[in-house]
Amino acid sequence: MRVNNLPLLNRRELIFTSRAKKLLTCLVVFLLLAMPALSFGQGASAGKHGGQIVFTSISDPKSFNPLIAQETSSTSIIGYLFEGLTRTNGLTLEVEPNLAQRWEVSEDGLMWVFYLRQDVFWSDGTPFTADDVIFTFNDLIYNDDVPCSERDIFTIDGKEIRVEKLDPYRVQFTLPVKFAPFLRTLGAAILPRHKLAGPLAKGEFNFTWGVDAPVAEIVGTGPYVLTRYQPGQQVVLTANTRYWRMSPGGQRLPFISKIIFLIVQNQDVALLKFLEGEIDALSIRGADFPLLKPMEKEKNFIVFDLGPAPGSNFIVLNQNTKVNPKTGQPFVDPMKLGWFSNIYFRQALAHAIDKKKIIDIVMNGLGYPQDSPVDPNNNIFYNPHVITYDYDLNKARELLAQAGFMDRDGDGIIEDAKGNKVEFNLYTNSNAVERMQIAAIIRHDLKRLGMNVNFIALEFNNLVSKLMANYDWDAIILGLTGGLEPHFGKNVWVSNGQLHFWNPGQEAPATKWEARVDEIFDQGVQILSDKGRKPLYDEWQMIVSKELPLIYTVLSSYLMAVRDKFENLTPSSYSGVFYNLEEIYLKEKYR
Amino acid sequence: MLKFIIRRVLVAIPLLLGISLMTFALIQLTPGNFFDALKLDPRISPATIAHYEKLYSLDKPLIVQYFSWLKNLLKGDFGYSFYYSCPVGQILQGRLFNTFVLSLSSLLFTWMIAIPLGIVMAVYRNRFIDKFLSFISFLCLSVPSFFLAILLLYAVSIVGGLPLGGMQSVNAQAMGFWAKFADLLAHLMIPTIVISIGTMAGLQRIMRSNFLEVLGQQYILAARAKGLSENKVLFKHALRNAINPMITILGYHFSELLSGAALVEIICNWPGIGSLMLTAVRSKDVYLVMASMLMGGILLLLGNLLADIMLAWADPRIRYE
Repeated sequence: MRVNNLPLLNRRELIFTSRAKKLLTCLVVFLLLAMPALSFGQGASAGKHGGQIVFTSISDPKSFNPLIAQETSSTSIIGYLFEGLTRTNGLTLEVEPNLAQRWEVSEDGLMWVFYLRQDVFWSDGTPFTADDVIFTFNDLIYNDDVPCSERDIFTIDGKEIRVEKLDPYRVQFTLPVKFAPFLRTLGAAILPRHKLAGPLAKGEFNFTWGVDAPVAEIVGTGPYVLTRYQPGQQVVLTANTRYWRMSPGGQRLPFISKIIFLIVQNQDVALLKFLEGEIDALSIRGADFPLLKPMEKEKNFIVFDLGPAPGSNFIVLNQNTKVNPKTGQPFVDPMKLGWFSNIYFRQALAHAIDKKKIIDIVMNGLGYPQDSPVDPNNNIFYNPHVITYDYDLNKARELLAQAGFMDRDGDGIIEDAKGNKVEFNLYTNSNAVERMQIAAIIRHDLKRLGMNVNFIALEFNNLVSKLMANYDWDAIILGLTGGLEPHFGKNVWVSNGQLHFWNPGQEAPATKWEARVDEIFDQGVQILSDKGRKPLYDEWQMIVSKELPLIYTVLSSYLMAVRDKFENLTPSSYSGVFYNLEEIYLKEKYR
Repeated sequence: MLKFIIRRVLVAIPLLLGISLMTFALIQLTPGNFFDALKLDPRISPATIAHYEKLYSLDKPLIVQYFSWLKNLLKGDFGYSFYYSCPVGQILQGRLFNTFVLSLSSLLFTWMIAIPLGIVMAVYRNRFIDKFLSFISFLCLSVPSFFLAILLLYAVSIVGGLPLGGMQSVNAQAMGFWAKFADLLAHLMIPTIVISIGTMAGLQRIMRSNFLEVLGQQYILAARAKGLSENKVLFKHALRNAINPMITILGYHFSELLSGAALVEIICNWPGIGSLMLTAVRSKDVYLVMASMLMGGILLLLGNLLADIMLAWADPRIRYE
């Protein structure tokens, strides 16, 4: 659930992240009907070993250390090298056993005992035991000298989880309070003690397993091992011969012997390489769809339309009520604050967003309107009954009039009740091309409502300082990447959150509905079953659609072009086509 | 001569310090730092980000950061890359070599074609071949290189025969030495042509006018009058003098050897320093940017020095005292 600072079209990277896999993973069985060429067999026929698959990555990996690596071009590779105690099934979205084969939980939901698999070996042949789990949590994640986001995830209400070894294959976790997302977060990678205890003792852990490390040093339990990295060119993974998982038919996994990530910085070049047959799978833009679709047969590939891509795109208005301690002036001009905190004003804005036009123009017709902070594909938490706002400028004018905004002097610009002309700045980051196009369309419609909107594109870092430190902005178009677990968006939604964009870090909730959302996020983690939690998160989505702190726009389609050489593909709109790569195998002539 | 070289090297030191200080100041003037991207991740606490900043000494005053970098530099340590969490030197090594290969190939290609063409144009001045080549060179000068790169890649994707960007084939590791070399040459083709074409056109014009100027000199007339063969006049008397100014230009070109051509590198997917530098600047990976700027600076100075020395060697009229 990271802010998507990339252009929408680069989201393929973000979707393939292991973190997305690990923590937020995901949903939906959005098998589209239009894929007759696929075999959906679940282990019905025996798989075959051999062959290779070529992916593309938009940039180099930055580190092979799972705790240090932060961004997707690293984590998409690391995801094949390491595993956690649990994992999220890409299709059913249920949490399933992984390195832990089963677990028991005490009645109060605080004490968890995990039984580890006894047939797991690190890729250098050392057996995997409880010591590795203890080491990963107590010596690395909870180590103050190792900066990692995992520590924030495993710190609940400011307290750490107690992790203890019961015997070589049993580990006990004691939680400070009930925490519903706990099992899913245990998808975090477990690291080998025998390899990393040395560097840690010497204080070198943060720089261990960087991109300069010898590949043989990087030891995991995952289905693949790193065999070569050529900077700027390619990363090669080969099948881990010690991998423990078997196919339902009792065959050793993974089937495909080699994964190659070709580093291609330019999306157009990647497309040409895909058409040439050099690359096997490519996430494509809406604009490429009409070019590719008719070539499917001739060039031997399939274009999957997997439904709305996970993530969100929204406009946020600055409702910060605080005073700048440096200048003694309020962060937001009281006049503008009056507009932005007026619910009619925000509703009028929501009615002025022509989602259909945005989808048609920006996404070539391949997109979906968005109305809720939860991904429409999240079949566990999505609330389909949220309030939606149709494109209706007359309705918008009525709402504005109700709040006292009218064009009194006939110059085409509306004034508020006190006679101030409505004019504000709309920002977005300059490297997001689609976002800039969306801004242009919205600006045009707001102009028709009589608002003077100045559009300004900023370098990403500049936008972040405005948003997080200086608070000197009026409106911003931004996006967040998606996630299954709503709790991980907590920092956006609770009133004291640093990412509560419209009014961050409040000491006490400024409004009644914000107070209620705080309660929901507190209670939401106390109930362990997803079914039990759903009504709470439904209510939160309803509140958001009613109060519009973030005004949602559109989601692009998740499009994936895949060479027609694979068997056992079971695409899912959230997890993509290759989330179960170890079970996928190649058609006869490609092996 | 030795004195001259020593003086030039000594002057270079404050110049390089200035370059590094300017780079550092410019990059610090832009808002935010490398870890800003993390600040917008709801799962990462401000404490963790403060931790990162401490780890990389970003919490210290700027002046302290600069001087500790400088101190380490004197020990041969270029600093740490935030982005790659490993020493800058490690990252630059391989990339520098790749860029060097591409630049050298385009340098050779450019000069080997531009100089003879320039001479041909001068010798056949105002004839059809001169006008035709002039037309072509103006055309080449006016085509933006990134556009040409995309056009060529597109053409190759239809016609086939050449690889579509990159430096090696996917399975190059399994090849023998000569197969690998041939593979590299094939991959070099498009980026070399793209980088060369603009410079080539310019160089050719300069060579033409130099040569024409020399041909108008009286000693050429004298040489012809003494009945020397036209070949001797052109290549022994005229060429040597006409090529003098080109040596200075070669020095400048040498300095560009490692700075790379970011746009062409990105489009042709060449794993060089230009594309690396671009991401480093955008993500504010300070020390990586500074190391590559410093490299460029050193090469520029070195190139100039080299050009001066070569000039003295080629032209007896020039003496450095």
